Amino acid sequence: CLLHCFLFLAVFGRAIHAIARIGDEFWFDPLEKGLALRSVNSSRSAYAYVFFSSMFFQHYCCTAVSEPCGKEKQLPLPCKLVIKAVLPVFRCANVLERNVEKCSISSSPGEQHMSFQLLCRHGVVKTYNLTCQECDPLQAVFAKHMCPNILRVHSRLLAEVMVHFPTSQEEITLSVTPMKVCFKSYTEEDTDFSRTMITEIHLSPEEFDYFQVGVDSEVTFCLKELRGLLAFSEATGVPVSIHLDRCGKPVAFSVEDVVLESSFILATLCEPEGAASQQLCCPQQRHRNPRRDGNAPSTGLAKPASPLAEQGEKRIPRAGDRDVTGGAGSAGGEAAEAPSQKGSNINTHILHLWLLTSGNICVFQFHSLFFGAVSYKEKDPMAPTFQSLATASDTEESSQG
Amino acid sequence: MRFRAKIVDLACLNHFSRVINTIAKLAKTCTLRLTVWKLYFILSDKVANGGASMWCELCQGNFFDEFQMEGVAAEHNEIYLELVPENLSRALKTAQNAKAVKIKLTNKHCPCLRVAVELPSLSSSSRIVTHDIPVRVIPRRIWNDFREPRVPDFDVSIYLPVLKTMKSVVERMKNLSNFIVIEANLSGEMNLKIETDLVSVTTHFKDLRNPPWVSEDACQSSAQDRDLESMAEARIDIKKLQQLLAGQQVNPTKALCNIVSKRIVHFILLHEDVSLQYFIPALA
Repeated sequence: CLLHCFLFLAVFGRAIHAIARIGDEFWFDPLEKGLALRSVNSSRSAYAYVFFSSMFFQHYCCTAVSEPCGKEKQLPLPCKLVIKAVLPVFRCANVLERNVEKCSISSSPGEQHMSFQLLCRHGVVKTYNLTCQECDPLQAVFAKHMCPNILRVHSRLLAEVMVHFPTSQEEITLSVTPMKVCFKSYTEEDTDFSRTMITEIHLSPEEFDYFQVGVDSEVTFCLKELRGLLAFSEATGVPVSIHLDRCGKPVAFSVEDVVLESSFILATLCEPEGAASQQLCCPQQRHRNPRRDGNAPSTGLAKPASPLAEQGEKRIPRAGDRDVTGGAGSAGGEAAEAPSQKGSNINTHILHLWLLTSGNICVFQFHSLFFGAVSYKEKDPMAPTFQSLATASDTEESSQG
Repeated sequence: MRFRAKIVDLACLNHFSRVINTIAKLAKTCTLRLTVWKLYFILSDKVANGGASMWCELCQGNFFDEFQMEGVAAEHNEIYLELVPENLSRALKTAQNAKAVKIKLTNKHCPCLRVAVELPSLSSSSRIVTHDIPVRVIPRRIWNDFREPRVPDFDVSIYLPVLKTMKSVVERMKNLSNFIVIEANLSGEMNLKIETDLVSVTTHFKDLRNPPWVSEDACQSSAQDRDLESMAEARIDIKKLQQLLAGQQVNPTKALCNIVSKRIVHFILLHEDVSLQYFIPALA
């Protein structure tokens, strides 16, 4: 199914920009049904996922090729690209719409680079050959449907809410009850109130397209990481769904429509004081705030868990729950990884990501995908055309980049 | 000590926001003095400000629909607060289409000015945004530090040229030098000069008028006896001048400056319901 829409190029560009807010690298994961882009931040407390179904593209083809010696077909491995290298390709979404007629992305087996080619007006062709690295897949496990609280709202509303917070605002707290929803600047016990301006916004449930609150909850997450998704959803015009649970459990912001879906899953802060139920929701680990310190302790990394064991698990898999007393005083236990930050008594729940490790390398051949511009007149013949494009990008030197 | 005020008129709100934006450009921290009839934004000339000082006066009746103030004591019915005007500016920035804005002095974790903005929403109940701006209550014993500055014994008083023109000239000069010399005479001529090792640039303005000051006592006599062509000059920090000009979002009704040769330049910008005085000391 071929879909023409030059608008979609801008949407794709905005998706890249949204993901750029999360981490320095992203996973480019071509699947049979479509293309997935994923990223995770260095402290593993934020995960972004954007999936474009094959219908989104004018032409999409991705096949896995079995090894010549007849081993079983494996899923193609994704590759990792540096965000900074890709951003210039999709620099200005508006400019993209006007000047670029087509964009093609291709890669070949054995190549260490991916080729992004923009066919612009007046016969100008821009080719970007970007180094990529095959790598293990990345996937976060988050059972959205298990969340007791689900809100859906138009992205315009969220943008109107977030505009009241300064761009420097790191964390905000979202609290929901069946009667109201409140976004406010995050404050902790040792916040210096005499120096901090605190902003709070109250919304009534009527403002939401869908409002289900099963459990009163208050979650604190990083606003900076979310802003990318907000901009992206405004571009797509798709409403944003918010899935949240008690504090400490991740909160998910997602958009979904026929041709694309995206989720940004953010870890939330967990206060040390609280009911015993806190023990369930997060490991009592002391960390520096992952957002403020990119070099978060290595407990953030998940140990590769067997995927089968995790199926059916309702909780987010955690790497090594520690049995530590919470509270302000217990800097001691984890001081090894997190030298005490003065006065910090916030325990952070880290999203533990389930890493699929597949021991076998597979040869994968990824054919080109195309975005078409509405103005593009020629019919695009199938295999022969993209074969030649793939060939062209193989032989072209990087002097074109 | 109590303070509550409310603005419901959008034009008043925008006007008030503009005043706050101007103040925010001039001072990182300043003093807000509340009296029954007026509000004052004051910056006193401490070394930390680079010696610059500011006095801005508004009639509360021109902005607020409701205004209730009870000062620290019956015979001292005023409140002095120290705050960061940028915070207030930010709080008002997104209130452009508000139904109402309420400001209240509260003391939850610490003394704050709580700005509550009621915004229209799609549902029947409004959206409420509150901003708690931390303030420091200034004790009565140091209120004397914040008295209205006297008009200095100036050598020349002259109306400023069109602010937009002056602003663009000063902005370009700022790229070349850190200091600027303002000189003017009683014949309506003003020069803005910069001089560096590589270049000197002078912009000449003429046919500006000189405001007639009524001398209440003999203090203006030095100006009256003065040679009309003789220039009074002062070398000041160009950034301070640029901040003053950049902060003007609306053309004032009257804009003038008084120059005390080699000592200080006193700017007066008058709007219908706001007056702003800004003092920039001269540097060697």
